[in-house]
Formats: sequence, structure tokens, C-alpha cells
Amino acid sequence: MTQNRPKVLVVDDAATVRLYHTKLLGDAGFEVAEAANGLEAVEAAMSTAFDLFVVDVNMPKMNGYTCVETLRSETVGTPAPILMISTEDRAGDADRAYAAGANLYLVKPVDAERLARVARMLTSGVAA
Amino acid sequence: MNPLLAQFLAEAADLLTQVDEGLLQLERDPGDPELVNEVFRAAHTFKGSSGLFDFPELTRLTHAAEDLLDAVRSGRLALDSGMADDLLAAFDLIRGWLAHVTVHEQLPATAGPAAQSLITKLRGPLGGESAPAASDSAPAPSAVAVAVRGPDWLDVFDAEWLEKTASWLSTTSATMRFVRYTPDEGCFFRAEDPLHLMSQVPAPAVLALIQPFEWPPAETYDEYQCLIGFALATRAAVGELNHLFRYVPDQVEIVELDGDAIRRHLSGEEPPEPPPAVVAEAVVQSQAENVELARDAYAILAAAQRSLTVDSPSGARLSAVARSVAAAASALGVPVEAEEPDIESLTARVATLLAETPAPAEEPPPVVAPPPAERAPSDRARTDDPGGQVGTRILKVDQEKVDHLMELVGELNVAKNGLTFLADAAEEEFGSRVLGRRIKDQYSGLHRIAEELQAAVMDVRMLPLSVAFSRFPRLIRDLSRRLGKTVELVTEGEDTMADKDVIEALGDPLVHLVRNSLDHGIETPAEREAAGKAPAAKITLTAVADGDAVIVEIADDGRGIDADRVKRKAYEKGLISEDELESLTESDAVDLIFRPGFSTADQVSDLSGRGVGMDAVRASVEKLGGTVSMRSQFGRGTSTRLRLPLSMAVTQVMVVSVAGQRFGIPVDLVVETVRVPGAELGRVLHSDVVVLRGEVVPVIDLARALDMPWTPDPAADRAILIVSLHGQRVGLLVEQFHREVDVILKPMEGLLAYAGEFSGTALLGDGLVLLVLNMKEVLSLAARAQ
Repeated sequence: MTQNRPKVLVVDDAATVRLYHTKLLGDAGFEVAEAANGLEAVEAAMSTAFDLFVVDVNMPKMNGYTCVETLRSETVGTPAPILMISTEDRAGDADRAYAAGANLYLVKPVDAERLARVARMLTSGVAA
Repeated sequence: MNPLLAQFLAEAADLLTQVDEGLLQLERDPGDPELVNEVFRAAHTFKGSSGLFDFPELTRLTHAAEDLLDAVRSGRLALDSGMADDLLAAFDLIRGWLAHVTVHEQLPATAGPAAQSLITKLRGPLGGESAPAASDSAPAPSAVAVAVRGPDWLDVFDAEWLEKTASWLSTTSATMRFVRYTPDEGCFFRAEDPLHLMSQVPAPAVLALIQPFEWPPAETYDEYQCLIGFALATRAAVGELNHLFRYVPDQVEIVELDGDAIRRHLSGEEPPEPPPAVVAEAVVQSQAENVELARDAYAILAAAQRSLTVDSPSGARLSAVARSVAAAASALGVPVEAEEPDIESLTARVATLLAETPAPAEEPPPVVAPPPAERAPSDRARTDDPGGQVGTRILKVDQEKVDHLMELVGELNVAKNGLTFLADAAEEEFGSRVLGRRIKDQYSGLHRIAEELQAAVMDVRMLPLSVAFSRFPRLIRDLSRRLGKTVELVTEGEDTMADKDVIEALGDPLVHLVRNSLDHGIETPAEREAAGKAPAAKITLTAVADGDAVIVEIADDGRGIDADRVKRKAYEKGLISEDELESLTESDAVDLIFRPGFSTADQVSDLSGRGVGMDAVRASVEKLGGTVSMRSQFGRGTSTRLRLPLSMAVTQVMVVSVAGQRFGIPVDLVVETVRVPGAELGRVLHSDVVVLRGEVVPVIDLARALDMPWTPDPAADRAILIVSLHGQRVGLLVEQFHREVDVILKPMEGLLAYAGEFSGTALLGDGLVLLVLNMKEVLSLAARAQ
């Protein structure tokens, strides 16, 4: 039986950060897609069932919080884990992420090994 | 260079341009919240990307700029020119660093001190603002003045090191900052990383750990409780430390000490207690990995607990929390048999896992089937068809690939032209008129396709003129301040499209014209008011499409050109004769500015050189196949107009022959072709002329001009090509007209580059190399041949 690689959507308006996360997660064995803002992410999620989302906070068109809320709302309704990553490291920011529906909040730049570890952990329930 | 760095540098250029443009607009319209937001976002995105690389000064400087912008956008500060200057200087410095990184892949050695100087300036306005905020948080994190005596916790530092440091500080009359950071025991649950935070302190001298007075017994030891404090000596500024620890001010104590203060501490009445021995414990790699895994799992559980506390999740959010809890439990080795979507049992489970980790959890509670409504969203998500990915609509293409495609299109045009020769051959050599006609029909179809393909490819190379205009707001701002003048820049028609090569070649002429306008054209505010003008001058950059050309105009409302002064200066420099001095019209006089060696600036300025640039401007524009013209009203302003071809790739030429040799003449110069009886050619003074519809047109014998042996048959009609050069019509006597063809013009190279009468060569469809004439030079040759 062939191994199904979990699908991850990396959402960040900085092309450099997207490239960085895409490479890390790709090397860790994930199938990675990209979105440049929250709106693109919602559109992608409506046509593809992702197993994990890695979402930035500050983005044009639709920011990370609204994006996560929309992913959790009836519009998309994904139960997949959402990992939010931001350069903002205040306590209130994390709470806002959790209120929107995120499952973990990390501060940029994320340690490469930690990102891979957390991603593997959060997608460990995906059927092989 | 690794691709991630290359991507970063490409993106950085875009983001820094956004910042620059935004800041200049903000100076004009400080109250625009949307504009501040845009600038902040560009700086913020840039900072986030820079954090991926080992460029600490870059990230710190950007962070300082971002904090200032954040204060502006939240309304705490109003942007003024000083702040704009500092921000522009910061991003200029960053731009220079990135140029260095492009070559060396690391920041220059001078980055640290250069960044520090600007960081101090950028934090200046924030410093004043943060003073009341600091008083709100207790205790105040920093001492206002140098402390008289060191705090007790200074004992954690080695006494010998303290003694040496005290000597050094006294000798250099310097001070040093000492920081004690006592993280909260539960800091890990707030995603704080005390060691990481300490490692961010710039210019550290010594870092020491403050261990607890007594370690807890092993059976009650909780490795997720932070029991260690930190003490650090650093040369960083107090303001910078305050900023770094701004989120944990209650856990930080910062003192500034000089040598005397340290000595007073060392010579305290009671001898210091020896510090507890530091025991370093080796950690096996596999154990470290398990610890890391457990820490991550714990972070996820803490986040889940936070999610359940902040709000009561339901639906997809509840399912997601349950899933993440199951994942963390699995990583901790606690088996989970089913999802538990109800909030109460999930909350209890999370609490249990957090409390008992790494102890094994209790038996899971009995499984309850989830209600169907809860299952619906996840079912729908799972059964979604994996449709096509939503991709971006923008495709970045290498310039080289587009250029290659352009060359292929050009060669397709050349190959296409071969069909016309084939049609001729079919009729003349094989006597088949039917075949010739069919070939011509095929040629028509191919010609249409080739033209559309060429238009499409050239469209790819089209850029808006805003690309060329975007540098001028900044240039004008800097120069006008330096010159003590007030200038407003107005741009119109920036959306006009032109070829990328044309736009790039346009850059230098435009810069020169703008500099000249600022330096020589525009008066000082005092002069302007004396002349009854508004103190602020206006420079207008306009772009407009005109058929197959684009017109760019630079106009100012400055002093204009004094035609009399120009004529006098030209006469003094020997550019014109005394007769011309008397007879030149005002517009002819203005044109003198474009002569080489001309300059009316009596004092040389380092901004625009010695005025020789105007002939360089005309030369570079004409090299592009364009023209330059200038109009001026003394006392009211000057306007310079550049007309440029839309594209330089494909040239249409009219093929003519003389003495059996074929030549090309650019079609845009051709007015018409006429045949006149030989008798109608007249002679005026030393030139042949022909009268066309009442106009006397001089005629140049092309064969004589090119020194070729050919004499027209006296009895035959004369074939004359009428061309327009600088608004003047000239006739060109040739042997035969041929056809118009599209050619790829290639410049002459090597020794042939000195043959000025040819602007280049082109390959015809039948393999013949066509020489394309430079009409200006040909007319000069003809004049000398008279």
C-alpha cells in the first residue's frame, strides 16, 4: 500500500517565508500547497481537504484570524489542525488565535526541527 | 546563492520600494490611515522574511522602524519630516546592505554600528512616548541614573571578572548594563522562551544562571516549571534592553554600573557568600529528542486548554481541538480510542493530561457515540472532491526567456519574408502565375499570425511608465531640500505602456532633465515670490501614447530660458556666427542648448555637472530612435518633450536600390514616393530641387552621396523618395523602389561601427544582408559632396 502524504497548506504573504516553510515541510514528507493571503487559503480549502494549515497573521485581503475563523465556520468547516505563526509574541495574540480556532500559536521564525515535529504530531491521526 | 536567499532579495526589492513610495506620500498626507497601514505591512513582511536569515542587524533595524510606524498607525505619534528622514535613511541603509548581501551573502562588517546609530534615532520618539507607559508597569525595569552600588545578585558573576571589568570601566570612563531576568514559573505555558530571549541581548559580555536556593525533591519535581533565573552583563543600551524585555517588565531588573559602583559592591562589609556550584548535566540525544517531543505535546495541550477557556468551541473548532488533543496524547504515549467532541469531557481530559504528564493517564471514560449533527461538518470536509489547486494569477518570467521568444519572433518574420521571394521566383523562373498567387495567399495568412504573435510578445515586454517615474519623488525631495527650494512633483499618465528596454534607456535622460530643472530652471522661493509666483514650484512628468510612439514630457514653472543670453553664450563659444546671432529665432535659440559644449551655468554645480548633459540627452534619445524638442517661455517655465518608439525590436524599412545595390530606409521617415520626368528637376544655387504641390523640396542624389557609380538615364522618369527629417522634407534620388519589410535591425560591430551612414544591418528573406541607412549621416555626406 502506498503511503499517503498528509497535505499541508502554507499561508503567508511573504514569498520568502512560504518558500522556507514549504521546503521544511516538504523535506519532512508532507505534500505542501501555498496561499499568499487568507482569501486564497479559504478558496484552496474549499476545493482541497488539507490535513494541516500553517497560517500567518498579518496578511492583505484577509488576515490570519479571519482566515482561521472562516476555515472553522460553515463555509469551509474543516476540522484539520491549524497552526498559526506570527512575529507578534504577546499573550493576547495567542488567545485571539485560539478564539478564532487555531490549535497552536508559534512565534516567527520557527525552529526548523520544531515545525516539522509539531506538524508530524498534529497530522499523526491521518490514515496511512 | 541558495534559492531561499535569492527569493528573499527579489521580494525585498519590491517591499522596500513600497516602503519608500509610501513614506513620501505620507509626508504629504500624514493623516491617511490606509497609507500608514500599507507602509507598516510592507516593513512588517520584510522583517518577517529577514528573520529566516542570519542578519541580526537587519532584523533589529527593521524592527525599530516597524515599531515607529506602528506608533504612527495607532495614533500615538504624528509623522514629521525628521521621522521620515530617519525612516528613509534606515531603509536606504538596508538597501545598501542587501546589495552587499547579493555579492557576499552576508552583511557588511560595518552593519552593527551603522544600525545602532539609526536604531537610536528611530527609538527617540518612542522613548519619550514610552516613559509614561513605563511608569504604569511596576516595578520600573531600569534605573534612571547610574547606581551607586551594585545589587546583591551581582554575586553570581565571578569576582575576578568583576574586578577586571571595574578597572576597565574606570579606565575608559564607561558604564555597563547588568540585567537580572527571573522568568515566571509558568512561563512555558505562555510560549515564552527565556533562554531564547536572553540570547537576543546584543553585545553580551557574560551570561550566568541563577539557580534556586533549594532544588525541589525528585518525586515532586516538575520539569515544566521554570526554576532558573538569568543574569547578564552587556554593553547594550538601556533603551534597547527595555525594548527587548518590554513584554516581561515585571520579571526584569536592569541596572547601569560604572567601575566605582562595582568596586563598592565587591568591598561590601559582609564577605559575599560563595555562589552555589554549577552542575552541568549531560543529556543524551535520544532523551533530548523525547524531551522536545514532550514539550511540543505539552504546548499543544496547553493551547487546547486555552482554546477551551477563551471560548466555548463547537462544530469544526471542537473537532479540531479534540484532534489536536488526541495527537498530543498519542505523542505522549497515552492511547486514545475515540474522539470526545463534548466540551466537558474534553476539558477534563486536557486537565488530566496536563496534570499527570508524564505519568500515564487514567483509563479513558466510557465511549459515547457523538450526535449526528456534530459529525456532519467533518464528513463534508473529508468528502470534498480534491479539485484543481487555486493557483496565483501572476507568473514571473525570466527576462532572458522573453528576450529569446522575441528573437524567435523576429526570425519568424524574416523567414516569412522569404515567401514573397518564393512567389516572385514561381512566376519568373517557373512561369506559374497560379503557384505564385497561392504562395502570396499563404504569405498573407502567415503575416497576420506573425504580426499577432509579435504584438503579444511585445506586450509581455511592456511596462507602465510608472516604472521610470517611480524614482523621481525621492530624487526631487532630496535635491530640493539640498538646494533650499520647494518643489511639488505631479505625474500624469503613469499607466502608459512602453517597452522595457525603452523604459530602462529612458531613465538616465529623465534624471538629467529633472536635475537640470531643479538646479537651473527653478528659482528659490524668495526669487519666485519677488516674481509674483507661488513659493512652491511645480514639476510635471507626463506620459501619453501616440500611435506607435510614447511621448514623455518634463515641464516646470521655473524661470525659463533667456533666448538672448543663450545666443550670446553660443556666440562666445564659437557655436554660431555673428550673422546667426542676429537672425536666429527664439525657438532656434532654445535649440542651441542641445549643441555639444554648450552651457549657460556660470557657476558649476556638482548636481548637474557642467551642462554638457543636454547634448547627451538628445544623443541617447535619438539612439533609441526618438526625438527631443524643447519649448520655453522666459519667466514662465520650460517644457522638454521626448518622443520614443513603442518598441525597438522590429523596424519597418523601405527597400530601395541604387547602382544595383539595395538599402533600407526606416519607414517612419518616409513621407511618400514620387516619379517625376527628368525635365522637372530644377537647380537652385548648388542643389537639385523638385516642386511638389507648390513646395520646393531639395533632392539628394543617393548614389553620389554614397560615392557609387550610377547615372540616371536622361530620358527616364526619376524615382524620388521623400523623407522627413527634423520637420524638413528632403528628396532622395534612387534607381528603384522595392517594398516595405519588417526587419530585425542589428547594430554595426567592430570596424564597421565607424561607418556612421549605416544604422545597422538586417537579414532579408532571400539571405541578402541589407544595409539600413542613417539618414542624418547620409544628408551630411551629401552636403559635403556638393
